[in-house]
Amino acid sequence: MIKRVKGFDPEFMDYASKFESEINRGISTLCILSIINQYDDEGIHGYQISKDLQEKTNEILIIEEGTLYPILRKLEEDGIIKAEREKTGRRRKFYFITEKGKKVFNFLSGFFSKLTEAIAPLFDVNVKLKRDQYFYCPNCANKIDLSNNDINFCDVCGHKIDPELKSRGFLNE
Amino acid sequence: MNNMEIENTIKEYLKEVKKALPEWLKEKKEHKEILVDLEDHLREKARELSNTGEITLKSTYEAIEHMGTPKAIAKEYKRRGTPYVYITKEMWPLYLRVLTVVFAVVIILNVVAMFINIIFENPSIEQIFGNLISGIQLGILISFAVISIIFVLLSMEGYFPEDFKSKKELEKEKVLMRKVQEEGYPISKKTGKPLKPFIKPLEEIIGGGIGLIAGVFFITQPIFVGLLDPLFSILIRIFGILLTIEGSLDISRGIIGNYKPSTHQIIHGIKIILKFAGIPLIIFLALNPQIFPWFYYNEGLGLWVNVGISVEFYELFRNVMIAVAVIAGLTSIEDIYRIIKIQNYK
Repeated sequence: MIKRVKGFDPEFMDYASKFESEINRGISTLCILSIINQYDDEGIHGYQISKDLQEKTNEILIIEEGTLYPILRKLEEDGIIKAEREKTGRRRKFYFITEKGKKVFNFLSGFFSKLTEAIAPLFDVNVKLKRDQYFYCPNCANKIDLSNNDINFCDVCGHKIDPELKSRGFLNE
Repeated sequence: MNNMEIENTIKEYLKEVKKALPEWLKEKKEHKEILVDLEDHLREKARELSNTGEITLKSTYEAIEHMGTPKAIAKEYKRRGTPYVYITKEMWPLYLRVLTVVFAVVIILNVVAMFINIIFENPSIEQIFGNLISGIQLGILISFAVISIIFVLLSMEGYFPEDFKSKKELEKEKVLMRKVQEEGYPISKKTGKPLKPFIKPLEEIIGGGIGLIAGVFFITQPIFVGLLDPLFSILIRIFGILLTIEGSLDISRGIIGNYKPSTHQIIHGIKIILKFAGIPLIIFLALNPQIFPWFYYNEGLGLWVNVGISVEFYELFRNVMIAVAVIAGLTSIEDIYRIIKIQNYK
């Protein structure tokens, strides 16, 4: 963001831009993962990821597009995503989230949501989590989709969650 | 002309990216794919940014700005390891291994130099130890500094130990990993790699069996009955008991196999006690050489006679027994080492 503004005090610019990229670092990886997760079996190529990232974050979360590929490579190396090249045409590389990746994403997404909700008052903003759609594990913050009826335990920490879900009326007694 | 300029600009940018990429990546074929993906992305971006839908020189420059500097892209590839005291966590075990090997080489070279010095120059004891210690100190200090600097630089470049291995080796490791996961063998918490089995069960059973037979032989003493000194006979029986227990423990370890690491550690602990228990007996023998048997076949009588060792050999006998006691004590180092090693399997 700060880089778009010209004529700032260089010292301030340098400090702010470093801080900004520090904040963006983890968040952008999580957002990239979220976009790949949305495309699920369909898969998505690098250019579309960067386009979606800009559009879906109203051009607020901007990364240098060339740095997207090292991030994707790292996620692939860690087994979070897998890549397949088109067999014909432009032979672009399409990225898919793996089962391990889904689990990691749900956990990190839950943690990030809870964190944003918790820190929101510090910045005088409101964050409302979609608690009617998702359940956040009280033990580890893992995000659990409530449309799945067959849930008794948190798949990350193993915490027994069905009593709490029943008490909230999400599961039948 | 404009098209050529566009192509040259793109080529130049990609050339700069390639130049900036870390060495470990440049050594792999993969870097070509990376450059293809970047070029594809760059062209698409340039097309999107131009009003006409055709790539222009202006839109190419704009796209390059969006892509980021070659240095920024390369920096992201280098951001690979987990930070850990300037050397990444991934490179740390290799760093320690290299240090150990180089330190060992330094020590060996200095010891060899010491012997050469003794043979050719006949130095005093002070000179021998002075040279040895200062040589080892200097060698270790220099090698430590050089190796540490190399590993810090490698960590900054994002190297992993795998980058020094061939494709064939990596494939072999993958196959081993799959096998290990299927068979449920332990995996190192530090390196994430399969641990080799910590014992060879058959070797333990055979070794233990030999020990057990020797132990029973010493306890029962089926030959030379009545020829041994009664004190020596008791001493040998005690040795026999110790050997029998040790042999039985080795057989148990063989039967347990590569499971129950804590049990193996306890057994090694007991073996250390047994080894030390034998030392006072050896020292007792060293102090009483007159009870040690020395058999002689008396042809006149047609019998074996225990004549004992000659007084002139008592000093030699004592030295041999002390050496045996020291060796017995030193063998417990192996047990201590194994106790520590097995800890990784828990």
